[in-house]
Amino acid sequence: MATTTYLSNPVVTVNSVDLTDQATSATLTVRYDALESTAFGDTAHKFTAGLGNHELTVDLYMSYAASETYATLAALVGTTTTVKVKPASGANSATNPEMTLTGTYLEALPVMNAAMGTLATISLTFKGGVYSVATS
Amino acid sequence: MTTYKIVSPRIGKPGDPYTPEDGVNVEALVAGGFIAPDKKSNKPNSEKE
Repeated sequence: MATTTYLSNPVVTVNSVDLTDQATSATLTVRYDALESTAFGDTAHKFTAGLGNHELTVDLYMSYAASETYATLAALVGTTTTVKVKPASGANSATNPEMTLTGTYLEALPVMNAAMGTLATISLTFKGGVYSVATS
Repeated sequence: MTTYKIVSPRIGKPGDPYTPEDGVNVEALVAGGFIAPDKKSNKPNSEKE
């Protein structure tokens, strides 16, 4: 069986700021509300796509240094922004598509998540926004 | 119209003009010190040399 392997090393950009070197995980889920369109005569539920309800979850190392995680995110919480992810660095292409959420909302920012003897990490969820893909 | 220049290499080449993409929160970038208003290009024409 033919397979391809993919070494996860995505590029993560939040509000134009490249946070790739602080990111350890990124999950972009494209989702559309399922609107029931079942009618008389149908023998099973049918659905049609409603509003987009996309979401990006990223895990980042926390850093309070200049131009790092906190400086990027502190003024974004409670506002909308643009986030981008793509599988690898390099030019956008059909095999390296850049996925964008435009106008996505950052509801919460854990400003402190510290534990003895470990690097501080935070998990963010960007909700909503318009989804697009660039292959060039 | 306010124009901006890049300060942090996380955005691009420092010193280059910054043009925000659709949906980008420019105020947050200024607050974080990633970009700064370009005073040179924001001067009224009468003040430019």
